Amino acid sequence: MPENVSTLQFPPLSTGGAAPLYQQIVEAIRREVASGRMPALSPMPSFRALAAQLAVSLITVKRAYEELERDGLILRHQGLGTFVAPGGGHRSRAERRNAAIAALRSAVRAGREAGLEDRELVEILQRELVESQPPTAQKTGGQR
Amino acid sequence: MSMAVELKRVFRSVGPEFSLGPLTLAVPRGAIYALIGPNGAGKTTTLNLLMGAGSPESGEVELLGLPSASREADIKRRVGFVSPALDYSAWQTVGRAIDFVRSFYPDWVPSRTERLQALFDIQRTQRIAELSFGQRTKLALILALSRECDLLILDEPTVGLDPVSKRALFVELLQFMGDESHSIVISSHQLADVERVADHVAVLNRGKILITSRIDQLLDRYRLLELATPHSPRPGLEGVTVLEGHEGRARILLDLRANTPASLLQQGWDIISNTALTLEELFLTLIQVDEARRPWRPR
Repeated sequence: MPENVSTLQFPPLSTGGAAPLYQQIVEAIRREVASGRMPALSPMPSFRALAAQLAVSLITVKRAYEELERDGLILRHQGLGTFVAPGGGHRSRAERRNAAIAALRSAVRAGREAGLEDRELVEILQRELVESQPPTAQKTGGQR
Repeated sequence: MSMAVELKRVFRSVGPEFSLGPLTLAVPRGAIYALIGPNGAGKTTTLNLLMGAGSPESGEVELLGLPSASREADIKRRVGFVSPALDYSAWQTVGRAIDFVRSFYPDWVPSRTERLQALFDIQRTQRIAELSFGQRTKLALILALSRECDLLILDEPTVGLDPVSKRALFVELLQFMGDESHSIVISSHQLADVERVADHVAVLNRGKILITSRIDQLLDRYRLLELATPHSPRPGLEGVTVLEGHEGRARILLDLRANTPASLLQQGWDIISNTALTLEELFLTLIQVDEARRPWRPR
């Protein structure tokens, strides 16, 4: 098993969660890459090794890698293995920023539909910002 | 390369009440293939057929590219089998059972036996008659995993295992799969585990295959929808199976290959919720639908 396996940090993966298993793996790897813990060109575990590490099927890991490759976060090189793509971390952060903007946009829409005024929406956002402390390093991937 | 397992139109009758097949299925190399189904669906009968216990009345069975009828000895050398029906108690102790089985296989790996004994906490001195059900399963797993197989056939290998041993078993199985020519056929009622570790699934009910699919594609294919309907769902709508419906409400199983949520909206229905199913939920639904299609008959 490659030595780099243990450096990848994964939250517990579960079936029956909000997202399919492969999506949970994609998110975990995105987070690792975005945080800089997996710098550009660092080798990824083979999907067979990662499947055994996480106790999930080969197809699940294969599909996660396919998705990450399509999004340009990792590169597969015939014979050499799989690596974090140069610029992968930047791309991952940009994507996460866009996802956050989209979530805020839909929150605004929901607020308007609920009849809230702009002033109230701003107050709610400010209160949320105060109550939820800035994310710290100990955060392990929950959404709240 | 040949398939790990191939069944072609295999049929076998087992008593007047039950017949298996015709079954056609193919297990690709490098895959974990799960057989799931209610009790009496024919999972064990199918696995026993693969192991040459009983021969089909018609059809062909091939393992690792070899016809099972004429090449049984060659096949058994390369296939490991674990079943609750295996009984090693004649050898009295774990140690004697291990030594006996080992004597048949020149490719036995003693270090692997020791590692698995430690992993599953099974000692050579233990008396087989005094082992719990789960410990017997562990012994059978040690015997199957201690030699070089290309194919493992596992009938309910998690029954009686605690969660820690179960996880250890799956990690072992996935390490076995590190060689891409290796394959596993497994039957289990633990559908959350199957969803997690298996690549393909065949759903059996009453001796027939309802569906075979890659598991991720199967879970992507079906959605569970709660609908508010001005009129009751028209029967026979493509891809729609009504599971429950009354008073302007309906719960349906939607097959995305045949229909889309958007086209339901066009029918004037409101979608209250649209959720993915776990393998267990989908399994229960598919069996429920299959049972409803049949004329009543005692199980």
